[in-house]
Amino acid sequence: MIKFFFKRISYLFFSFIFILGGCHPSKKIKDPFILNIHLSAEPDTLNPITSTDAYSSSINSHIYENLVERDKDTLEIVPLLAERWQISKDKLRYRFFLKKGVKWSDGVELTADDIIYSFNKIKDPQTACAQLKVYYLDVKEVKKIDKYTIEFKYSKPYFLALEFCGGIPIVPKHIFADGTDFNTHKNNRFPVGTGPYKFKEWQTGKKIVLVANENYRGKSPSIKKVVYKLVSESNVALQMLKKGELDYMSLRPIQWVRQTNSDKFNDKFYKLKYYNPSFNYIGWNSRKSFFSDRRVRQALTHLINRKAILDKLKFGLGKIVTGNFYLYSKNYNKNINYLPYDPDQGKKLLEEAGWLDTNQDGILDKDGQNFQFTFSIPSSSKFSERLASILKEDFSKIGIEMSINKFEWAVFVEKIHKRDFEAVSLGWSLGYSGDPYQLWHSSQIEQGSNYCAFKDIEADQIIEQARVEFNDQRRTKMYQRFHEIIHHHQPYTFLYCSPSLVVVSKRFLNVKIHVMGLDFEEWQVAK
Amino acid sequence: MKRYLFKRILLIIPTFLGITLITFLMIRLAPGDYTSLKAGLQGELRAGQIGQEILEQEKKLYGLDKPILVGYYEWVQKFIRLDFGKSRKDGRPVSTRLAEALPITLTLNLITLIIIYLISIPLGLFSAVKKNGFFDQGTSLLLFILYSLPSFWVALLLLLYLGGGEYLDLFPLNGLLSDGLEQANWWEKFLDFSWHLVLPVVTLTYGGFAFLARYTRANLLEVIGQQYITVARAKGLSENKILFVHAFRNSLIPLITLMATLLPALLGGSVIVESIFSIPGMGQLAFEAILSRDIPVIMAIASISALLTLIGILLSDLLYALVDPRIRLEGKK
Repeated sequence: MIKFFFKRISYLFFSFIFILGGCHPSKKIKDPFILNIHLSAEPDTLNPITSTDAYSSSINSHIYENLVERDKDTLEIVPLLAERWQISKDKLRYRFFLKKGVKWSDGVELTADDIIYSFNKIKDPQTACAQLKVYYLDVKEVKKIDKYTIEFKYSKPYFLALEFCGGIPIVPKHIFADGTDFNTHKNNRFPVGTGPYKFKEWQTGKKIVLVANENYRGKSPSIKKVVYKLVSESNVALQMLKKGELDYMSLRPIQWVRQTNSDKFNDKFYKLKYYNPSFNYIGWNSRKSFFSDRRVRQALTHLINRKAILDKLKFGLGKIVTGNFYLYSKNYNKNINYLPYDPDQGKKLLEEAGWLDTNQDGILDKDGQNFQFTFSIPSSSKFSERLASILKEDFSKIGIEMSINKFEWAVFVEKIHKRDFEAVSLGWSLGYSGDPYQLWHSSQIEQGSNYCAFKDIEADQIIEQARVEFNDQRRTKMYQRFHEIIHHHQPYTFLYCSPSLVVVSKRFLNVKIHVMGLDFEEWQVAK
Repeated sequence: MKRYLFKRILLIIPTFLGITLITFLMIRLAPGDYTSLKAGLQGELRAGQIGQEILEQEKKLYGLDKPILVGYYEWVQKFIRLDFGKSRKDGRPVSTRLAEALPITLTLNLITLIIIYLISIPLGLFSAVKKNGFFDQGTSLLLFILYSLPSFWVALLLLLYLGGGEYLDLFPLNGLLSDGLEQANWWEKFLDFSWHLVLPVVTLTYGGFAFLARYTRANLLEVIGQQYITVARAKGLSENKILFVHAFRNSLIPLITLMATLLPALLGGSVIVESIFSIPGMGQLAFEAILSRDIPVIMAIASISALLTLIGILLSDLLYALVDPRIRLEGKK
């Protein structure tokens, strides 16, 4: 009886599986005008003022527009919603003249009131946008001159003021000013913008769909519908891509090197690589006695085999950087060579700084203190984890004892905030024209982002002067000198600028790599 | 009986408050909070002192500036009115987010549990009857091998070989419904839904057989060793009758204890399975909420599962008394 029962059940179960496996619904003919993009995590909100994650800003960039934008290749600031602008002689007032007849996707016209409203919302203490508020601290007021003209008033001159004023996120007043809470407004999940695409639907945990905006003033894009599919596992996403369910995704280095090289794959997809303004690094907290000496920091950089680590952990995909500026910007000083892997030189520098193994226990010491420190890493980073174990081994050969401490991201952020660490593995992503003030000015040591406590009088002067230098060439010169100083002091051991690795289906033509990456708005659907 | 029930139900209240208070304390005392996380390293530290003030302002918006116990008191007040608050992630009511995730997880878990019970209880019975025989040892080896296979690995293998792309194209790779089927009739939808469920359900079930099968086997063996079974044999009853009438039913009693864990288990989702198969269920919801310190969501999930656990324990105690006359809930008068 049991046997019979069991047989029957298993028969049912397996036949069920095979029936389902065999008779899946007939495949629909694919609409060629749809672009399926991989989204690895869901955005919190699609309100450009309160959102913080990269996912929402990449989606919003096709829905919402700013007063100005950057040219994708020259990185120059060019008009977008504003047709032109005027900057006063004292560099304190920025007047923007809006294009006339720009329509929100619901047909209402964009006016100066929308920009004033957006600015006031950013300043409003009730709005949850701390990350944005800090950009507009120096904007004293925004004035409406007439229906199509607005003026930003700065309290002090700043070379990035045009970028900040022109880059202010703009939301439609007639939608949001309905008396309900801005932070939880229903249109945070139903954006209305002026861009080439408009929002269609958001199925939580599944997908976000955009369609071409018929009210768009410019040329309508060739791709008529964009579906962002949420797939958290990147291996699964790659398989969906091979199956034709995705057209566009970012790869991990191992996928780029190992899983996407067949002829079949290359017939169907473009593999594209470009560098974003970002770098990762090891930060040495110079409050700690070992790292306060420049020679020790230089020695540690000499002890880290950056070339070998790049080849081993990132399959050679990346460039070793020597300073804080974007590798492909003019500010980056290309005359500086990176400190090579040289354990002997490292040892010599450590000796000069007084670190010797006086008590013959295999660990360097100075004034009775052993060279022992903790390397803090975020638990989410596989790279940091593997980097840490390589460093631990290499350092121990020289007589430096390093222990590794992994923290969950929330805890990690708090540790850094409290300056409670000795050495740390992290990365920064930068703007295209970065101001080193927040990261490197000595006023930022206690509360700002200069948490490794870098301090140099000349560096401070350069930073301050550059902020009010409106001549690009002169500022570039200053920044190149700044790069030299940073390199000399090695407050960080700078590691790599890593490329974005993306694949795009060859169904699309005119897929170009710009300095700022890809833009599907210009792609053509192959006939 | 009534007095006992009343007492037990009353006891649930302080226990529940204790559980939720501890949970609340743990989230609030854990390092990191929602606002600093959201601002991140760059935003938070950007403007130094003034940035700090802005951050404090924002903490106020979420009530993070108030003392912990006040925060808890406010949470309880809301909970009594069945108001779970709004999720910090997307500003929607927590109840809406739960209502999206819960049915998915519930369906998945119900199917999984039914399959596990249907397969492992007969397996356990059969191996107890043929104790130490070939079937017994063979299945126990197989079940333990299955038990020890890591689910993320099995899930990825299943997808790689059965999900299409390069090998067999039998099953869909992600989600629960195919694109373009939103308007289909219910039968097509049902078929499509079941088709999507196969791989996740296989991944969720295969590791679950071992425990229950061994549990059933051990229980049955214990019962078979009891004196009343010997009596039944001495009476000359057939072996089948002894097994199914006397032994089997009695061996099921300890399974009732599992009831207590069953109710809350129905709600809990597997983070791994959900993220591999892109299923927006309770596992991902809870996991994400914890990582981002989304207190309203964490508290809602914690309180619901606490309540279900308490009810499960009460139910299993009551059922015990019902099926086993030797157990009395109240002392004899």
